[in-house]
Amino acid sequence: MITALSHTKIQSQNLTLIGFGIVLVLVVLASLSLGAYSIPFPQTLSILFDQIGIQVGTFEVQQANVLLQIRLPRILMAMLVGGGLGIAGAALQGMFRNPLVEPGLIGVSSGAALFAVIFMVIIPAAGSLAWIKTLGLPLFAFIGGLICVTAVYQLSKSQGRTDAATLILAGVAINALAGSLIGLVLFFADDSALRSFTFWSLGDLGGATWAKIPVSVTLIGVPSILLLLNSRQLNALALGEQEAFHMGVNVQQVKIRLLICSALVVGVGVSMVGMIGFVGLVVPHLIRILFGADHRLVLPGSFLLGAILLNFADLIARVIVIPAEMPIGVITALIGAPFFIWLIFNLNKSKN
Amino acid sequence: MLQASQVHFCIRQRPIVDEVSLELNPGEILAVLGPNGAGKSTFFKILSGEIKCKHGSVGYNGHDIHKLKACDLAAVRAVMPQHTQVNFPFTVQEVVELGLISTKVKQPAKLIQEVLEATNTSHLKNQVFNHLSGGEKQRVQLARVLVQIWETKPFPRYLLLDEPTSSLDIAQQHAVLKILQTLKSRNIGILVILHELNLAAQYADKIALLKNGMIAKAGTVEEVLEEKILAYVFDHPIHLIKNPVTGGVLISAAAQTHTSIPTFKQA
Repeated sequence: MITALSHTKIQSQNLTLIGFGIVLVLVVLASLSLGAYSIPFPQTLSILFDQIGIQVGTFEVQQANVLLQIRLPRILMAMLVGGGLGIAGAALQGMFRNPLVEPGLIGVSSGAALFAVIFMVIIPAAGSLAWIKTLGLPLFAFIGGLICVTAVYQLSKSQGRTDAATLILAGVAINALAGSLIGLVLFFADDSALRSFTFWSLGDLGGATWAKIPVSVTLIGVPSILLLLNSRQLNALALGEQEAFHMGVNVQQVKIRLLICSALVVGVGVSMVGMIGFVGLVVPHLIRILFGADHRLVLPGSFLLGAILLNFADLIARVIVIPAEMPIGVITALIGAPFFIWLIFNLNKSKN
Repeated sequence: MLQASQVHFCIRQRPIVDEVSLELNPGEILAVLGPNGAGKSTFFKILSGEIKCKHGSVGYNGHDIHKLKACDLAAVRAVMPQHTQVNFPFTVQEVVELGLISTKVKQPAKLIQEVLEATNTSHLKNQVFNHLSGGEKQRVQLARVLVQIWETKPFPRYLLLDEPTSSLDIAQQHAVLKILQTLKSRNIGILVILHELNLAAQYADKIALLKNGMIAKAGTVEEVLEEKILAYVFDHPIHLIKNPVTGGVLISAAAQTHTSIPTFKQA
């Protein structure tokens, strides 16, 4: 009977993920069709079908150009970065055994931002070599994120357990330090760098081009898959590091893997589109509330839901003030913050 | 055989575990008793591999503990620590399933069902672990630990438990020790830290008394349970009474006349 039960559990997990996938496709189609330059839905479909060699309906060349050269890379980028933030948030929450952890809170994002800014301002010569710019910036951001998250982790851990209060304090301290260092670097920056940074600090998907997609797919996709492979170990870590060791998990190795992969995902995301808050915090929470804590569902679910939410937020950012664009960080925080307050409110109510 | 020889562990030059040697054979229950701060938990952590054993050696079935990887170690021994916190809303079944994480078993569902029944927790299996009472949590943790070594294997294995009965009522305490007794026939050796002397007297095959990091006395139950030794170890007068019903030994801690409470470091 239990066999049947766990079988249905796997089935329902798969169904949930398929459901998320369908929603993601719908959101992507809507994003492709809507915007400052509106492309009617039938044309959107016929452009897409034309790409795979099936001729249905007619469309204008301009429509195809907007869709394929401007919107599609942007949407792919939103999927990768949103999904990456979701899955990295879920993995870090699992590793720190704390549902408050978020890439922004524990310093991954600001560390990555600091190193990205240093790269952009202090190494202007890098701009002359194209490959350094496409690969150097994300890798630099990754190193910054990794340094900060490792520092926060070391500071907050005592006797194999991370203390929530010290964790938050360490995160605040590292964030403040990184923030002030960013300010210091910007002090020496020229005007154009400064302007691009202002937009970038709230997140900006507008810079997404096909040239950035291969690097993003590799450096966000591969570590995300590696994170997925650790979901059982994350389940074990939820009982505590000692307990995970008792059950045969090589805790040290798993933690290093988790830290590197999440720092890579977040760091590359930050270097591509800037700092986007709340996705990494809210998405894993939502999944846990709706579908339970099993990381075998939480991790892939967080990736898909993160991709959905960031695409949705980007869609709003693009259509709300046509022809201008709202910074996407404004939208995610506008949706995320009230939602989070509602969440805390409900958690308190259910406790009493 | 689980063998610890001359295990020594210091914190700031102060010995917590002092040259302790101990053997645990498969098929026997060894109870480790001692006052608070005697070094029981530290010794326990050295045996489980949680603390690195720098002086002395610990061997499982003749293999040195340092040479065993975490997953190899998990195949020969399961550990139940005093407290385990679960921070996310896992269900009871999910928690118990975790016990199988590093072992490949043929019928996981059957094993899980068996341990849930053995620990009297099958009715809880779809509930969220964090919503359970203290006693229920402890029984679920026991199920999680048991499932790791439940499948019969051709080599001897060991179960280490640190106060598994601390939040259980009398009936549940006896239920847990009865489960441990049934493990003996599965070629499993059990080391259990207990506070309740009568439980040890009733269920253990051997007892080791620990005081100030040293073994005060180790041996069979009859050899160790002596009023003088117990009184010395616990700094408290203790009387052994014949149980009029079962004929076994009852341990009674009479009220102490003088009031000097020794203050040792908390374990």
